[in-house]
Amino acid sequence: MSNIIKGPSTRELMEQMARESEHLSINDRRDFLRKGVAAAAGMAATTIAGNSVASEINKANLPPNEPAWGKQLGHGVVEHPYGSPSQYEKHVVRRTVPWLTADSIASISMTPLQDMQGIITPNGLVFERYHGGVPQIKPDEHRLIIHGLVERPIIFTMEDLMRFPSVSQIKFIECPANGGMEWKGAQMEALQFTHGMLSCCEWTGVPLKVLLDEVGVKPEGKWILAEGADGSHMSRSIPIEKALDDALVVYAQNGEMLRPEQGYPVRLLNPGWEGNTSVKWLRRLEIGDKPWYHREETSKYTDLMPDGRARKFTFVQETNSVITSPCPEKPLVQKGFLEIEGLAWSGRGKIKQVDVSFDGGVNWVSAKLKGLVLDKALTRFSLVTKWDGQPWLLQSRAIDETGYVQPTLSQLREVRGGNSIYHKNSIHTWKVASTGEVTNVQIT
Amino acid sequence: MFRSLDSKLLKKSLLALGLGAALTLTGTAQAGQYGIGAKATPEEIAGWDIDIRPDGKGLPAGEGTVEAGEALYEQFCATCHGLFGEGEGRWPVLAGGQDTLTEERPTKTVGSYWPYASTLYDYIRRAMPFTAPRSLSDQQVYDITAYVLYLNEIIEEDFVLTKDNLASIKMPNEENFFVDPRPDVKNKRCMKNCADPKKLQIAGTLRGITPVGHFVEGADAPAASHDAQMEQEQHKEKVRKATLKGETLAAHGGSAKAALSEMATAGKSTYDGACKVCHGSGLTGSPKFGDADVWAPRIQKGMPTLVQNAIKGFTGDTGVMPPKGGRVDLSDKQVEEAVAYMVESSQ
Ligand code: HEC
Ligand code: HEC
Repeated sequence: MSNIIKGPSTRELMEQMARESEHLSINDRRDFLRKGVAAAAGMAATTIAGNSVASEINKANLPPNEPAWGKQLGHGVVEHPYGSPSQYEKHVVRRTVPWLTADSIASISMTPLQDMQGIITPNGLVFERYHGGVPQIKPDEHRLIIHGLVERPIIFTMEDLMRFPSVSQIKFIECPANGGMEWKGAQMEALQFTHGMLSCCEWTGVPLKVLLDEVGVKPEGKWILAEGADGSHMSRSIPIEKALDDALVVYAQNGEMLRPEQGYPVRLLNPGWEGNTSVKWLRRLEIGDKPWYHREETSKYTDLMPDGRARKFTFVQETNSVITSPCPEKPLVQKGFLEIEGLAWSGRGKIKQVDVSFDGGVNWVSAKLKGLVLDKALTRFSLVTKWDGQPWLLQSRAIDETGYVQPTLSQLREVRGGNSIYHKNSIHTWKVASTGEVTNVQIT
Repeated sequence: MFRSLDSKLLKKSLLALGLGAALTLTGTAQAGQYGIGAKATPEEIAGWDIDIRPDGKGLPAGEGTVEAGEALYEQFCATCHGLFGEGEGRWPVLAGGQDTLTEERPTKTVGSYWPYASTLYDYIRRAMPFTAPRSLSDQQVYDITAYVLYLNEIIEEDFVLTKDNLASIKMPNEENFFVDPRPDVKNKRCMKNCADPKKLQIAGTLRGITPVGHFVEGADAPAASHDAQMEQEQHKEKVRKATLKGETLAAHGGSAKAALSEMATAGKSTYDGACKVCHGSGLTGSPKFGDADVWAPRIQKGMPTLVQNAIKGFTGDTGVMPPKGGRVDLSDKQVEEAVAYMVESSQ
């Protein structure tokens, strides 16, 4: 998009502050505006990590003073029957790269990985990918039909689906285009844009195998077409082996019903596979003897090689990892003790090991895996160290339980060239300057 | 549930006794383990079973011509995909690009990349036109499919595309797809002196294309979404115009929104679902939502005329407004509400 926005003028800054002060009590607001005016006058507005002038420290709230919130009452119960994050976390949002697509209705947004803790992505921050926008589906008017090469074609209501014994599993979903903007060179000056087409939730639903047993798949049935109910009627062909292995038909995420953005009221989940195969707003599963070769498995989600030929059915999301702290959004601000953290994941199973390099991949040290280490789930790693202002070329390298070692960018490019768009899972490099600034670089 | 589990046990023991057939005879339509869900009727399935395979399975009866397709394509598709499939702005390119797949910037189109013609019929029928999916008849899809194949020089002008010959059309790139050979790259877990530091090349980012105003000090600050970006731009534009006229403007999103009439408020969801795709950005010469200057002369025509033009369709100096924005399923009232919402938000 050519519409690059210029830095705010004094007047715009004032207007912005007026807006931001709307939620404050009268006293706070007066204070805030007074501070803000001073900031605007000096144009000393620092904006790091999304904290605007509003984050300026008011000493009156610091010890030994009693802070404002200790001298008044807050709101009572069910003021917000469905709660939302603190007003001071407003910068933690999904973001998109508007120039990637012609329109927001068939587009993608990214999860703010730089602000995530643990391995679970909150529902409101799970990355979005739509081909025809988000449909508003009334659950009691939604149906899932399973038909084709089956003994008994069945139509399920949501109530039906929820009667089956349920399972809950923590799995990541990743768009195969994650990182795809960087095949030819470093482009994105933010973790959110280099790796944010990635989320991880606890999903609840029915194993697809249970539903297939219910309809009775005929021996000739080798492929399943999954189709969405939205305006794009997104469709993908899935091999029956995956369906019988670990595919799920899910209706809940992180303890509540799916968000409309994530396929409410029901979606397919193919753990560890291209996010696109986990068809949302699932309305139909047809069993057939051959794949369908629909648009999303021919025109898209095929990987063009340098010789002009293309790989098809590139389902698995191979082992990948990235350091999430520090990162461009979270530069180093203090010398001394430092915990380096990041995320690793593999579409083939569990993460076995993550190594970290400080010198661009010449020497490596082992990091520690933190918390849960689960099959096809985000896994957090950590390395405790000290930073004394020395420049670093920080990298992480993940190894999964199959022994697959995350490749270098040169290794990938050598085989696949620069036009395959999808499945760029190479070792990523952050350059840490002596100022603590972190930038995205590529080492070859 | 216990009952159905019992029946599975029963089935097992009956099978052991060689009485499986008897159970099938006496069983209900759903003989699955849980017996949950109803039998899907052939009519129910037929209405949703829209998929087509390369071997032609799923194609409906019918045929189509390039000539009929041309008129339909120009009416329903050209605004976004261009008269010759060249793609307007950043909308997808549908034709051309032959022999570019090994180039630095390949152009992947129906003709240069897609392996099967069936995919084209299937995709148009399930998803296009973008603003009104599932609105074309099977017949129209045959015509348009023929035309897009013609634009790609895959069929001749006088070719009649039918249920029976579609599967036999050979696409130029069919042979060039092969099954995923990954893992294709083998890295080793080396810990010490794994590379020669002198030979490492470091390349930074091309500055200026990352929308990351949210963290770089003093940088541009685009919004998080297309919509918010649009709103931001519209607001800035208003502020700029107001400043030129020496006026001061109320805070962003100020009083205008609060003053929406009941009818306009009711029209928001129709607008979002059916009109925004063009009017949100000014696509194809449509008057852009919120742009008071562009709307002023139109508003002077009066609401009844605007509503009529929105319902019946309208070709003016700037482009083509399709009847009901292509969404003939909308009621006249819904369109009227949407017009009210657009007009009141663009004054
Ligand atoms: C309002 C703009 C618009 C109109 C009108 C429109 N399309 Fe599209 N078309 C799109 C968008 C956007 C996509 C990509 C959708 C996505 O990526 O999910 C697309 C994708 C396509 C594709 C797939 C392109 C590819 O390379 O994968 C084909 C084929 C297509 N459209 C055909 C048509 C036909 C035929 C019509 C008329 C009946 C039509 N479109 C009308 C916007 C439009
Ligand atoms: C495919 C793009 C497209 C869609 C979708 C669309 N419009 Fe339009 N609309 C246009 C264009 C182009 C014009 C300008 C025509 C001209 O004046 O040349 C227009 C003009 C209009 C006008 C002004 C007519 C006049 O007399 O000046 C109204 C009112 C309007 N549209 C309402 C709607 C409503 C309501 C919807 C949704 C139900 C809608 N439009 C959907 C493209 C679109």
